[in-house]
Formats: sequence, structure tokens, C-alpha cells
Amino acid sequence: MSFLLVLAPLAPLAMLFALAWPKVRATVQRLLWAAPLPALLVALLLGHVPPLVADAGGLRLTLLLDAPGALLLGGAALLWGAAGLYARAYLGDQPRFAAWWLLTQSGSLGVFIAGDLGSFYLAFAVASLAGFGLVVQDGTAAAVRAGALYLFLAVLGEIALLLGFALLATAAPGDSIAIADVVPPLATYPGGHITALLLVLGFGLKMGLVPLHVWLPVAHPAAPMPASAVLSGVIVKAGVIGLIRFLPDDGAPAGWGMALTVIGFLTAYWGVAAGLTQRNPKTVLAYSTVSQMGVVGAVLGMGIVLGIADGGLHAAFYALHHMLAKGALFLGVGVALASGRESRRWVLPLALLLALGFGGLPPTGGALAKAAVKDELGAGLAAWCAALSAFGSTLLMLHFVRRVTEAAGEGHAARPAPGLLWPWLGLGGAALLLPWALLPMVGADAGKMWSMAAIAPVLLGAALSWPWMRWADRVPALPEGDLLVLAKRGAAPREALGRAILRFEMLFRPWPAAGLSLLGVVLALIAAMAAARS
Amino acid sequence: MTATTQGGWLLVMALTLPAGAMLLAFVAGGRHARTISLAALGLWLVIAFAIAAQVQSGGAPLSYVIGGWQPPLGMALRADGLSAAMLLTGAVVLLAVALFGRTPYDTPRGAPESRAAYAFWCFVPALAASLAAAFLGGDLFNLFVALEMLTFTALALACLDGRPSQFKSELRYLLFALIGSVLYLLGTGLLYGAYGTLDIALLAGRTRADAPTMVAGALMTAGLIAKMALFPLHLWLPPAHAGAPAAASALLSGLVVKGAFVLLLRLWFWVLPAPFVLGGASVLAALGATAIVVGSVVALRQERLKLLVAYSTVAQMGYLFLMFPLLAAADAETASRAWLGGVLQAISHALAKAAMFLGAGLVAASLGHDRVNALGGAARAMPVTVIAFALGGLSLMGLPPSGGFSAKWLLLRASVETGQWWWSLVILAGGLLTGGYVYRIVAAALSAPAPGCMARPVPRAQEYCVLALAVASMLLGVLPLYAFGLVRVGAP
Amino acid sequence: MTGTDILALAACGLVAIGLYGLVAQAEVLRKIIAFNLLGAGVFLLFGVVARRGAAAGLGGDPVPQAMVITGLVVAFAATALALVLTLRLYQIAGAATVAEDPPERTASEP
Repeated sequence: MSFLLVLAPLAPLAMLFALAWPKVRATVQRLLWAAPLPALLVALLLGHVPPLVADAGGLRLTLLLDAPGALLLGGAALLWGAAGLYARAYLGDQPRFAAWWLLTQSGSLGVFIAGDLGSFYLAFAVASLAGFGLVVQDGTAAAVRAGALYLFLAVLGEIALLLGFALLATAAPGDSIAIADVVPPLATYPGGHITALLLVLGFGLKMGLVPLHVWLPVAHPAAPMPASAVLSGVIVKAGVIGLIRFLPDDGAPAGWGMALTVIGFLTAYWGVAAGLTQRNPKTVLAYSTVSQMGVVGAVLGMGIVLGIADGGLHAAFYALHHMLAKGALFLGVGVALASGRESRRWVLPLALLLALGFGGLPPTGGALAKAAVKDELGAGLAAWCAALSAFGSTLLMLHFVRRVTEAAGEGHAARPAPGLLWPWLGLGGAALLLPWALLPMVGADAGKMWSMAAIAPVLLGAALSWPWMRWADRVPALPEGDLLVLAKRGAAPREALGRAILRFEMLFRPWPAAGLSLLGVVLALIAAMAAARS
Repeated sequence: MTATTQGGWLLVMALTLPAGAMLLAFVAGGRHARTISLAALGLWLVIAFAIAAQVQSGGAPLSYVIGGWQPPLGMALRADGLSAAMLLTGAVVLLAVALFGRTPYDTPRGAPESRAAYAFWCFVPALAASLAAAFLGGDLFNLFVALEMLTFTALALACLDGRPSQFKSELRYLLFALIGSVLYLLGTGLLYGAYGTLDIALLAGRTRADAPTMVAGALMTAGLIAKMALFPLHLWLPPAHAGAPAAASALLSGLVVKGAFVLLLRLWFWVLPAPFVLGGASVLAALGATAIVVGSVVALRQERLKLLVAYSTVAQMGYLFLMFPLLAAADAETASRAWLGGVLQAISHALAKAAMFLGAGLVAASLGHDRVNALGGAARAMPVTVIAFALGGLSLMGLPPSGGFSAKWLLLRASVETGQWWWSLVILAGGLLTGGYVYRIVAAALSAPAPGCMARPVPRAQEYCVLALAVASMLLGVLPLYAFGLVRVGAP
Repeated sequence: MTGTDILALAACGLVAIGLYGLVAQAEVLRKIIAFNLLGAGVFLLFGVVARRGAAAGLGGDPVPQAMVITGLVVAFAATALALVLTLRLYQIAGAATVAEDPPERTASEP
């Protein structure tokens, strides 16, 4: 059975290669939705799939399926499938888009089942970098700029991870690169703090933890709807699974649980505050993703602080709900834009329901997700912080619903194409219902969601959203990617540095300078060797 | 005592076959030159493969004592893992470049032979012979001759088009390379005076840490790095590599500089005594680190595609020098990692850079210019080339699953393990800067064509040659690690 | 001071002159001549080495002399090649220099 694990990332990859063959190109594009089916099957077989270990000449590669991985893998497969159907109706025949789509998909599905440093890094890199193609699909100047920023930060994240992984591999005893072997020594390793910092940098960049969130609000609005859905739904989860795998509750160096919690809550509030000023519904959604990933970070952080063994599973459950609901909301923006005033009435209720789910409105899936993380965020200061973030999320999501309503639809009676409508309905339904079906896995108490502590933030948020509607237009919009403004200020010094290096290089271009530096090299070598001899 | 091992005749074949092919092509000329040359390169690849297989399976270096005369009087050909791997790389790149050159250096039936085509098909096998001599030679003086042969053939290939700017930059190249070779020769003279032999195997472990050895080592090293264009001795490389025709640029950047690299490794890790290696390695690595940063930043600011790729060579050569302090200061396991990382970097760079230069040549031929900012529409006109170029770029950046990634990962681990973490920062910063200039090119190629831009179609066969090289560079990272046991055979 | 020492000093002098010429002289022809001087110095050094390392009863060690012969051939070939390039450059461009081009187009200076 374990061979099935390979199929999850390989099926999209095989379809990608099939694209190069003109005869089957049309078929592949028609079947875009089917690429994640093996992954879905694998996720459903949780518990029946033993790990797959391939010994490739001294390098042991591992693929494994555990509960958090299966939750995220299954959710990702659902979202990829629905968004694939949607993309077909939304974009039509686009072989280049299909190629980037399948490549990204392959990486993003692989990352949830990778069990060693090598395959994890590979899958993570493929998912991150190929996402670039999805961002720039529209080819507008804004999309290209967003793509460049996305790629720059993705490579930066890769670099942090690469160094972090090198430190992990060095600290681990023996030659094994299995995650299960390299992570435990981290807690006691003297360089553990640097390693943890690099890991949080790399994964935080992907998740969008403040201040590394700047790519999300820029990239998501620039990408086409189905691409935004998977970027926001699946790609950011690569960071979540990374933190689950590499900073487990018993493996993180001291202090990192608290740090992660603080960063997480900071992100959660930052996302809400910045999102509330936005006009574009997709930007609002992107900021909502930032905020929700902040909550996931806080859950993981508190899991480490409190030493909760299932912290990763709880965070994965929370992330699963976010994956489905946020994917559905992004698809819903496209549906809303395609429907006229007449049919809009039928579109909005589901969007509203999904949106309020993020605040924890019972009995939606979102409320269950909040109930599932009660172990971590249920007591003390953390509970207050969580309630504040739930309140903020409600406010933000109602702001989103309002912005969608305002966004112009074409004509009065336009109806969304069934290819747009059904994937959206399916995904929305899954977001509302699937958490109920999976509840036994996390063993949360569904009754908790009816508690006053859970409902009060939603009610308060809903109440305050009326006044905010009036205020929202008077508040100046923060530029998308808020902190990016600071980066622009660095442009002039960067330019000056680049020019200085160029001038430095030009010093050595004339012939006499090169001849002198040749003699200089000889002397330097002699000096260094003489110093070593004495 | 060196003895001819089983399979030693393969080494002789690797040397004589391309040399013979060159002579034959020189005599036959015209269309025959092309046939002879291509056939010889194909056979040469088979021989290189056989040598690699023999070294890998035997786990010991091959050697052949010419004429049965023992060193120090006679001379030996040797193939350890390093030689075999580099020879194989050279054979792959040369064959791909020769296949690429079938279109531009074609002599149609009945047409008079052109000077460029004739020279190309004579000098490509000559380059193969010089490479074989440089990789297989076991004697420091023979290696000097091999390096000169390499320089001369490379020069002839670089001047094929006969443009004035070409002559100028190639003359600079020649003169600077000559300074390098004389310094190297001066060093060998001193070494011979001190030890009475130049056979590497005989010198190994026998050198003393005294003044003549020190001066000889410094002179020879300086001469070799002048030929490798390590910063600050790089003045000749960008114009020479950028000015040459595409096929020649690929060979110059991919292979010719690697000849000097192999020689440098032999000098440092076989000939020089350990204290000198320990002391001098940090100077080399510091220069290499500067080369990575400066070369990448300057590449980032180039406006011409070929110059950009050439400056990228300056930067990538820097990586090769980072292995020196890691090898010098490490325990056996880490040293083996650094060794593998460095050699892998040389191999993957050879493949990737050859692909990138060929790709740049195709782009320039199709658009009629190579201004980076005006590459719009290139991806539409020649998707295969742009994909190949991007794959090569990914390998240079060190992204998985490329050969460049494996190389950089190994170097990174070795630098962390030896506590020399500062080199790892250089490796990573270089990767980011590399990403910057690769992105510039690929993004420009993907953008919409400027109005009035006419991209002529390029031959599919040429595009596939480029793609094959790029894919080979990528596949290097997917190869299971035991395949690289080859590189460890006979490692210091 | 023996004859060998004088020869060795002469070799050093030639190497120094040659290096200076190669680095400092702007004209290509002078550079080529300087290269030949440099080469002559190195070959002289090989001669000195041959003399010093001679086995008992022999006038000189033959191996360095063989190397000098090979080296001469290489240096001759290099000189010829350099001269041909210089000549072609002169014919095409009207001047033979390897001075750095003015930094047009080579780099972006906005």
C-alpha cells in the first residue's frame, strides 16, 4: 500500500509531462481536477499506509502519512480538485497555466507526506517556486511585480531553510536525514536557537507571520481566482506543516513556544487591522489569511509552551478548516463577480456563513476548528487573546462580505457558469460539514462551541460591523503589503551599493591593475603559507 | 612505483583518438571533417564512460606508463575518480556542443567549405585531446603542456567569427593566460630543482614545508587562478567568453577553465605539504567569496545577455575555491563531503553554463541582439530554449533537485561542520544574487514582445542540444549518491 | 660566486624584466617580446636547475633540458599565435591594443 504515497506527488507530475505531448494536451487540461485524486485516496487511507522508505545509496528517503499530514493532504487534495474544475471554467485552455498548476500541486501535496529533510526541502521548494507561475498568470504589470516579490521572498525562505536544515543534519547523530531523527536533538543542541530562528523564518515566510507577511496581500489579489484560492489555501499550509514537523511540542529549544505565540497573536491582530482598511475583497481575504495563520502560529506556540502532545494535530485541524473555507471564499469572489444583482442574493448567504465561520459562529466548521484548539487557547491570557482575534476576524470577514457586495457584477440577470458555481458550492459545503465528520480524530468537545466565551466575540464583531461599514470608506487604505513601503525606502542605498561594487570591480579591469593583483596574489599566498609554517 | 593497470589502454585511447580525429579532419576537410569529428566525439564519450565504469567498479585509479618507462624519467597517465568524472563531463558537453554546431558550421553538399566550419571541426576534437591530456596527465610538466594546448585550441575556437572586437578580447585572453602559464612553469622549475621529479604520485607526501616549495606553490597557484579568472584576475574572461561564438563560449566557460581547476586540485591536495594547504586555503577561499559576491552583483547589472552569463561564470568559479579551507581543516568524513561538493559544483556548472551560453547564443541569433531588457517574446518563439536556460539557472542557484543544489548542500554542511560558518553565508548570498540575475533574464524572456520585434525561429535540433545539457545538469542532483562514489576514488 | 649563480641571477633579472614589460607596457608587440624575455628567464632557470641537480659524473641533468626544449616549442607556438592575432587585429581595426574598452554597454550606469 505504501507505494500509493508516491502517487500523491507523482500524479500531477505525470500529467505535467503529458502536457508536453500535443495529442493529449487537451485531455490533460480537461482532467486538471483529477490530478489530486490519488492524494485524496491516500489521505482517506490514514492508518493503513505504512511509511515508504527508499534507500538511495546511503541517502534514506522517507514518505509517511501521519494524522496532521493526512488532514492537510486530504484538505489540499479537495481544494486542488475543486479549484481545478473552477480554473477550467474560469480560464479556459491555458497550457502554460496548467503546467505551473500541476507543478505547484505536485510539490504542495508532497510536502505533507515528506518524512526526511531531502524530500521535504524538494517538495517545499517546488511548491514555493512554481507558485510564481500562478501569481504572474495574468501578465499585468502588477502581476509581474507581485511575482517578483513572491519569488524573492520564496528564495529567501528557501535559503533560511537550507541553512537550518544543514544545521539540523549536522547536529543529528549518524547519517540519517529522516525528520524523526534530526529533530529531537534540536532542543539540547547549543546552536539550536539559530536553527529554530532559521526554521521559523523559512516557514513563517510561507505562512505569512508578521513581518514576513508582505507577499500575501500583494500576490493573492494579483493571481487569478483559482490560483489565489490554492495559494491562500494550500501553499501557506506548507509553512504550517513545516512548523508542525520541525518544532514539535517536545523538540523546540526553550523559549521558542512563547516566541511563536507572541508572533502568532501579533500577526493575527496585524492582519485584521490592515485588512479592515482594504477596498479590494481579495486583499481583505489575503489579510484574513495572514490573521488566521497567526492564530495557527499561536496554537503551535502554546502547544509547545504547554507541552500538548496533540498540538500539531489541533493546528492541522484548524488549518484544514481554513484551507477549505478560504479556498471557497476566494472562489466565491469570482462567482459573485460573475453574477448579476438578481442571482447575487443566492450567492451571498453561503459566503456570509463561511465568513462568520472564521469568527467561530456555531455550528459551522469554523466553530469546530476553534473548539479543537481549546486545549491550547482555552485558558488564561491566551484565551483572551484568542477571543480578541475571533472578534477581529468576525469584523474583518463582515467587512469582506460588504466589499464583495459592492464589487460590480455584470448586468442585472447574469448568472455564474455552472463550472464556477458547483466547485464553489462543493468546497463551501465541505468547509461547513467536513470538520464535523473529522471531529473524532482530534477528540474535541463539540459542546464547547456553544459556550458564551465562544459566541460572544462573534456577536460583538457582528454588532460593531455596522458602524464600521460607515467608517471604512473614510479610513485611508493601507498600501497592499503595508511594510513593503519600508523596503522601498531601501532602494536608493541598495542601488548605491550595487554601483559601488560595480566601480570596485572596474578597478581591476585595466591591464596594469590586473598584473599588479597577480603579483599581489602571489605575495598573499606566500605570506599566508609562511604564517602557517611558523 | 607506477604500473600499467588493467584497462590502462583506455587512457591512451582517450588521448589519441581525438588527436587522431583532429589530424584526419584536418586532412579530409569539408563535409568529411564534420563526420569524422562527430564520430570521434561519440566514441570518445563511450571511452570516457568506460573509464568511469572501470574506476568505479575497481575502486582504484587506472594508470598507464607510457613506453614502459617508469617515472621520474618516463611519464604516466592516471585516471582517478576526479579525472574520470571530469572526462565524462567533458565528453558530454563536447558532444552536445558539437551537435549544436552542426547547424551553424554546416558545409552543404557541393558548397565550398567555409573557413569557420573547417576550423570548428578540426579544433573541437583538438579541444577534446587537450582536455584528456589535462585530466589524465600525471606529471606537472605534461600538465603545463596540456594547459597550453587547451588555451590555444580554445582561442582558435573563440576567434571563429573573425570580428575585430573578438580578436581584441581573445588577444587579451591569450596574453593573460601566457603570464599565468609562465608563472606556472617557473614554479615547476623550482619544484624540480628541489625534488628532482615532477610526477605527482612521486611528489605526493614527499614535499617539505620549506621556502622553495612555498614560492613554487604560490607561483603555480597564481598562474592557475589567472587561467581560471578568479577575482581579481578576471579581467579577460567576460569579454573573451561573451565575445566568442555561442558554441565556443559554452566550451570556454564550461570546460576550459575546469582544466586549470583540476590541475589546481592536484597541486594543492597531492603536491603541497599540509601546513601550506592549511595556510593558503583561506586566501583562496576569501578570493572565491569576493568573486561570488562581486561577480554576481556585476552580472546583475549587465545589459547584455552574454556578458551577464560570462560574469556569472566569474561568480560561479568562486564557489570552487570554497572547498579548499573546508578540505584542509576537516576530518575524513567532512573532507569527503567538501571534496564531493566542490567537484560536483565544477561538473554541474560545466553542464549548466554550457547550456546557458548555447541558449544565449540561440536567443541572440533569433532576436538579432542580446539586450536583456529587450528579450520580450523569446519564450514564445523558442520555449524549449528558455526552459533550458531557466533549468540551467536553477542549477546555478542551487535549487533542488539540481546538481548545483547537491553541491551547495554538501559545501554548506561541510562549512557548518568545520565551524567555518561564514562560508555558508557566502554560499547562500550567492544563491540569492544568482536567483536575481536568472530571474531578470527569464522574466524578460517571458514578457510580451516589444512591437516590431521579429523573432526568427531557431532549429529544433539546436534547441534540444541545449535542453539536453540543462536536463543533465538537473539530473545530476537526482542521481543516487553512490554514483558519486566515483569522485571519491583516489581522493586526497 | 660560481657560473651557476650568475646564470641564476641572470634568470631572475630576465623574469623581472619580462614581468614588468608584460604588466606595464601598453603595446601588444612589446608585451609579446616581454613574454619571450620572461620565457627565456624561466628556461635559463631550468638550465640552472639541471646543472645543480646533476648526478655525479654527468655534466647536467638531462630531464630539465628536455623540458626546456618542449617549453621553447610551446612558447614559440604562443608567440606565433599572438603575433597572428595582433596582425589580424591591426589589419581589421587599424590599431593593435589590448587596452580596456571605454565602459560603453559593458555595464549599466544609469
